[in-house]
Amino acid sequence: MHPGSCCWQKGDNVTEEKSKYIIVGGSAAGMAAAHTIRLHDWKGPVTVLSEEPDTPYFRPLIPFLVSGKKCAEDMVLAGCGPYTGRDIFVRTGARVESVNTAEKTVSVQGNGGMAYEKILFATGSRPYIPPEIKGTDAAGVFALRTLAHAKNMAKRVEISDHAVMLGGGLLNLKGAFALLERGLKVTLVVYSPEVLSQLMEPEDAFLIRKALDTAGLTIKTGCSATHIIADSTGVTGVALDSGDEMSCQMVCIGKGVRPNVEFLDGSNVRIDGGIVADRYTACNAPDTFAAGDVAVTFEPVSGDRIMTALWTNAVEMGRCAGRNMAGVKTAYSGTFGILNATQVADEPFVSMGLVHTTNHDFEVYRHATETTYRKVVFNPGGTRLIGAIFIGDITNAGLYRYVIREKMPVMNIKRYIIDHTLHYGHFVTGKN
Amino acid sequence: MSQPKEIFVKTDRCVGCLSCTIACAVEHSKSKPLFGAISETPVPKSRVYVQWVEPEGKVPLVCRHCEEAPCMYACISGAISRDENGVVITDKDKCIGCWTCVMVCPYGVIGRHLEEHKAYRCDRCPDREIPACVSACPTGALVYDTVDSFSGKVRKHASRELLLAEGG
Ligand SMILES: Cc1cc2nc3c(=O)[nH]c(=O)nc-3n(C[C@H](O)[C@H](O)[C@H](O)COP(=O)(O)OP(=O)(O)OC[C@H]3O[C@@H](n4cnc5c(N)ncnc54)[C@H](O)[C@@H]3O)c2cc1C
Ligand code: SF4
Ligand code: SF4
Repeated sequence: MHPGSCCWQKGDNVTEEKSKYIIVGGSAAGMAAAHTIRLHDWKGPVTVLSEEPDTPYFRPLIPFLVSGKKCAEDMVLAGCGPYTGRDIFVRTGARVESVNTAEKTVSVQGNGGMAYEKILFATGSRPYIPPEIKGTDAAGVFALRTLAHAKNMAKRVEISDHAVMLGGGLLNLKGAFALLERGLKVTLVVYSPEVLSQLMEPEDAFLIRKALDTAGLTIKTGCSATHIIADSTGVTGVALDSGDEMSCQMVCIGKGVRPNVEFLDGSNVRIDGGIVADRYTACNAPDTFAAGDVAVTFEPVSGDRIMTALWTNAVEMGRCAGRNMAGVKTAYSGTFGILNATQVADEPFVSMGLVHTTNHDFEVYRHATETTYRKVVFNPGGTRLIGAIFIGDITNAGLYRYVIREKMPVMNIKRYIIDHTLHYGHFVTGKN
Repeated sequence: MSQPKEIFVKTDRCVGCLSCTIACAVEHSKSKPLFGAISETPVPKSRVYVQWVEPEGKVPLVCRHCEEAPCMYACISGAISRDENGVVITDKDKCIGCWTCVMVCPYGVIGRHLEEHKAYRCDRCPDREIPACVSACPTGALVYDTVDSFSGKVRKHASRELLLAEGG
């Protein structure tokens, strides 16, 4: 028995626990939902079932464990930011094996069953390991996703001089900087013509590339790994499709993520890539909801179905699901597939909305200086802003996001957008 | 508990003298008097901004400490929280300078401290009865009041509109 749950008798005298709300997955989406439920229903038991051994933490901080700048305690979610709700029971090491939506029960690996009234699927995603790369099970091969991974990676650093990162996305860049800080030599192997190809086009990335080169990263574009070479000590090298071989003691794979949906095999919950959620974050089975990386949702500008892999989106959708579960019907406003802010080396950047413009007839404005770059993208008629990249100077990025998301007519503010001089005052005086 | 006070802006009164921004920077300097403050490195930063709108509008902007603060939910490190007075605060130690909050704040009032690689914003001057910017404003364009009291006086206030549309 745990606080937040109670026992009930089932058919053949099997005692099963029951929690009004069950949340599968205790990370951004799941914990945001749990805390939101608490705001609207202060007494219904909320139980979070989380497969990981660690209590919920801020996942994006794990590279700092590798670099040594933060320790695990600094990343704990409970009590930080908006996560201050009480009476939320988190069971760690509790993997949900299956869900019976007719009986409204879940079965927890090695731990019997549990009944619910409402359930949220917030199982997130896991790294994709391309099967065409051979030898990825060797010691010293990582795909950074969990605190446990980060701890192992930090240990491997101690016996490594050279790390090879496969994939040029943000995750690998963050990992690469953590390793550089630990004094390793780091090589990034990127299949695309340039780094960050998911977030911008090659010509948009030149300042970032320059910053990465200056920071001491070695970058090989246009090639990929075929296999990982290992002996009893673990990884000793990587073979590339170019025929080159590099010796290294560590390999990090950053090739995107895949949703964790397997636990719903055999249930009637609709899966289409991820778990399909409607505008109210509900799934097709009664009293089931989905949020976060695992959910299929929609893009507010185009209306297209998308899946995202962003903390910010997972929290927002989790909060919406929490409201709906507690009976406060709330439509979800959708998410941009691209909504990234960060700093790589000394270069801050923001990329949001629709930014891949080659072979489209969007209205695009670019502006480059020695230290800054921006690209703003309007619809073909030039009446609405649909995407923006700011590098070097990200001033007021939030306003541009707002203009995109609300599909605001831009007639009166267009030149400020193009010149990157838009500020909130333009809205205030327009209305006064 | 008495209702918490907020900083309100009367845009029609602002003459763009920047007294508020100087007072804010000084208040948040290490050596509070002005002469010490201006010689500090890094230069102390203001958390209130006066924006200019053609032809001659001036708009002071400062963190609204929004009800459903988008920055707080977006922060990927748990650095942003709300204190017991309703003030949304950024914990410098926790902040990793990822700028996610800058990307989501619809008012553009989060500053980036480049030397420290940290985000900063209005903290409502915890050591003062009345925030420094409000005290410094010579025209009464900045008002420190409770929502009820202020909105009784002026309801037509645009700075809440975006927020309402955001669901705040
Ligand atoms: C190193 C790194 C840096 C990142 N940086 C950023 C960033 O700067 N900005 C940003 O927006 N995003 C960032 N992200 C992405 C962000 O962390 C994810 O998008 C976010 O964590 C998704 O949250 P979620 O709640 O949907 O799922 P997850 O965080 O994936 O959590 C799902 C949880 O469910 C558990 N689970 C899965 N299956 C089961 C089951 N059957 N039973 C019980 N539990 C289960 C998992 O173990 C996991 O703990 C980063 C990610 C990483 C790895
Ligand atoms: S979103 Fe902007 S205005 Fe609102 S609390 Fe955050 S920083 Fe302040
Ligand atoms: S810059 Fe700091 S306060 Fe802002 S979102 Fe990132 S960690 Fe949070």
